[in-house]
Amino acid sequence: MTDRSPTTPPPRSWVHGLLSFVVPGSGQISARQPIRGIAILLSFLGLAALAAWTVAQRSRTPDVLLSARLFGVIFAQALALLLFLAALRYVVARFAKGEPASALWGLILAAAYIASLLLVQDQLLAAAGAPADLDQIYGGTALFAAGALTAFLLWNVADAALLGAHPDARPSFAAGILYVCLVIFVLGWNLTEIDVQKAVAEYRDTQIILRRIVWPWRAAFEYEQVTIESSARIQAPCPPGATGPEVNQPVPGVPWISVTPTCGDISLRDLAAGKLIFGTELTITGGGYPPGSEVDLLWKNPIGNAFKPRGGVGDTEITIDENGEFVSTLYIPEVAIPSTAVGDQIHTIIIRQESGEIFTGRLSPSIKLALTGMLETIMIGLMATFFGVIAAFPISFFAARNLMAPIKSPLTGVVGGLVGLALALVLTFWATGRVSVSLGGLAAAPIQVAGFGLALLLVSAYFGWNSGAALATRLGKTLPPAVTRGLTALEVAALAGAAGYLLGVWFSRGVVSIPLAGPVPSFLEQRYAFGGAALFGLAGFLYGYRNALKEFSLGLTIYSTTRTLMNIVRSIEPLIWAIIGTIWIGLGPFAGTIALTLHTIASLGKLYSEAIESIEPGPLEALQATGANRLQTIVYAVIPQIVPSCISFTIYRWDINVRMSTIIGAVGGGGIGFILIQWIRLFQYDNVGLAVWLITLTVATLDYVSSSIRERFI
Amino acid sequence: MLEVQNLTKIYPNGTVALTDVSFSVEAGEFLGIIGLSGSGKSTLLRCINRLVEPTSGRILWNGVDITAADQAGLRVIRREIGMIFQHFNLVRRSSVVTNVLSGRLGYTPPAWSLVNRFSREDRAKASRALERVGIPDKALHRADALSGGQQQRVGIARALMQDPKMILADEPVASLDPVLAHSILGTLERLNQEDGITVLCSLHFLDLVQRYATRVIGLRDGRVVFEGDSEDIRQINDERFKEIYGEEARRLGGQEGRV
Repeated sequence: MTDRSPTTPPPRSWVHGLLSFVVPGSGQISARQPIRGIAILLSFLGLAALAAWTVAQRSRTPDVLLSARLFGVIFAQALALLLFLAALRYVVARFAKGEPASALWGLILAAAYIASLLLVQDQLLAAAGAPADLDQIYGGTALFAAGALTAFLLWNVADAALLGAHPDARPSFAAGILYVCLVIFVLGWNLTEIDVQKAVAEYRDTQIILRRIVWPWRAAFEYEQVTIESSARIQAPCPPGATGPEVNQPVPGVPWISVTPTCGDISLRDLAAGKLIFGTELTITGGGYPPGSEVDLLWKNPIGNAFKPRGGVGDTEITIDENGEFVSTLYIPEVAIPSTAVGDQIHTIIIRQESGEIFTGRLSPSIKLALTGMLETIMIGLMATFFGVIAAFPISFFAARNLMAPIKSPLTGVVGGLVGLALALVLTFWATGRVSVSLGGLAAAPIQVAGFGLALLLVSAYFGWNSGAALATRLGKTLPPAVTRGLTALEVAALAGAAGYLLGVWFSRGVVSIPLAGPVPSFLEQRYAFGGAALFGLAGFLYGYRNALKEFSLGLTIYSTTRTLMNIVRSIEPLIWAIIGTIWIGLGPFAGTIALTLHTIASLGKLYSEAIESIEPGPLEALQATGANRLQTIVYAVIPQIVPSCISFTIYRWDINVRMSTIIGAVGGGGIGFILIQWIRLFQYDNVGLAVWLITLTVATLDYVSSSIRERFI
Repeated sequence: MLEVQNLTKIYPNGTVALTDVSFSVEAGEFLGIIGLSGSGKSTLLRCINRLVEPTSGRILWNGVDITAADQAGLRVIRREIGMIFQHFNLVRRSSVVTNVLSGRLGYTPPAWSLVNRFSREDRAKASRALERVGIPDKALHRADALSGGQQQRVGIARALMQDPKMILADEPVASLDPVLAHSILGTLERLNQEDGITVLCSLHFLDLVQRYATRVIGLRDGRVVFEGDSEDIRQINDERFKEIYGEEARRLGGQEGRV
């Protein structure tokens, strides 16, 4: 501690404690630990605000002021409770044991505090506000958040008092962090809507679905029903002189029925009495059915509709005797025959028996669909990994710090190269546009136009950069330094100005337009664009003028650009890329492949570049010393060192891609996920089970295979 | 042959590694460089082939200023100067013959090396180089399967592939035991005497310097504090020794002591 003048006596420890009680953290600040004090103050305020906000948002009619007020009251009551308990402990410790606080007493206090909160919960809440208010503000959450916050406050008081008494002490922050975590835990419990009671009580609901998902294999096969059926014909109504069809004769060994008479009258409904006047009674005999089984009786009217006769005209379910035969009677049921009907009206009696499902051994359409989807999924993963590796491998060298950092070039050359590159880009777009027009537009010949454009882009970019850089470097050597400096500065200004122009346009359209009703007026857009161009151009000119003759860290610039781009692409989930892919290409596995490829490029690029960064630098140095150029050192010193880890990363990534493509299917990216999500929505849980099983089996197999392959390479 | 003029190297973090170092080397010399760790020996050797960019000063290689050379010029100069390292700096997972062949990259068109292709002459040259350093039977072994001494021989064979006029050896025997040290330095001596390759070799052991070097320079805190032939080294007394190695340095076992 530093000396104090006698006029300002050192504040005693309880003063610090009191300060901290009034404003959390202020006691620590007065005890000359300002960072600790500020951290405590910010934590306290942050947590209190978070608690009030959570409680307000979760209530049905959010009212921040009301909930903050109630929260404050509850907090004060919790504080009073804790203070009472602390005082009790002090008294007990003093008289019973005569010794200061120990860890055990601390634990007892904490337990007593929580127990009493639980005990007096309702009373506390009732005292805090009207029951209607409490209903709105989730009283329990507020109570426990306030309780934990109270503990934090009292810990802060004790901490300040300790610091005041022992200024050089560095007491642990552990207890404070514990209370902070406790507050967050309580709020988290509320926000995630954890409901243990519900989870336990409604657990049984899962059984119905879970049973089908866990063992869905019946759905993997086809089952058949076998129908045994025999019929006899009857004429009704029976006009005078009609004899009806011939009576069937029994056929041994085959199910048969026979009906007599074969001509009769239809039952009629007496609407006034509300009952049926029975028609002719038929006697049905039959045989050749499985003994002891049940058969159904169906009536088929003249226009071919079969139904079970109703109205007590006879049995429609008949039991076959031990000889496979039966006898039953039936009144001809009520059948509407229109008055316009012409000719004999022939009805049919059918005696039908349907077997249960019979296992056929054939795979069901569901499992075939699931297998196809699974194969598609594996292939999506494979293709995405393949394309990802092809793209990520070269990119990773640009994202490796150890390779890029030494690449430096005079600013003159770099700027010359950039100007060359810009010209090459303009040329490429112009030429590609012309070619596209002559081929009949991009839609007519997409491959030709894109191929031409890409090839031209690569070639012109290479030559543009190289010749621009070479020209600028040569000029820089021949021209006087002042001229080189001026020219370079102008070039930088032009490049920066162009960038500033575009940025200005973007800023006016993207930011300035937000509060406006419509698009930004063009004069305003122009103003921002030219303002940006002028600002950036001036900054570029100054930068170029100052650094024209110095080395520019070209490598590090490329490194950070590549890294930033990769990080952005990687931080966007494949699910989002898949949605973009489905908009681009439409539903299907190609969209999923594109999504996974993009993500794979970014993450493999990062993994590969980290493998490159961890190589031994020695061989690189040794090959540089032999006069090998950069490409040669990469082929001979870098690649042999990174091959094992790259193989390992690639297999790992394939593993991840297959797993991810199951999810990507759910948003339309094809594969098994696409089928799975449809089955889920149709509540076809047997099929869902099949898909889940296939996914699980595939992922587990792949996991095992990939880890055993990777073990060999590490 | 090699002339170092007022060479100064200050690292970006402000460490002054070399201050105003000047000396020259005649063709065919075996120049020993002595000094404590951190005295600037490695930096000096690496400045000569510009693995480390000098801050100021000039290095003339047969009249050509190495420090002013552009990338293409530097490539031509580097391939005339072989280098061997304390930790051998072999690609451990590659075969011995690939490591040796990579010494020829300075002469190979870059596009060819993309497909791992060396001419028949280069391959013959590689087996001759391995024979020369005494491990012709190890060509197809992986580099990390070899012992330390053998690995350093591969390093020398790699340098030989460059048809070097000079070899820079940065503590070539510091990771090896004394018997192997003599055998490696003996190989370098043979190359020096039979092929007339100039050798610049930084060493820790005074007795090795006396045995092999024809001339010696001593570095301390990045400055040349001693220059003389091997006779002068033999005459070195405690006072001179302290001048080179600093006040707190002490000899271990007379002149053979390691510092």
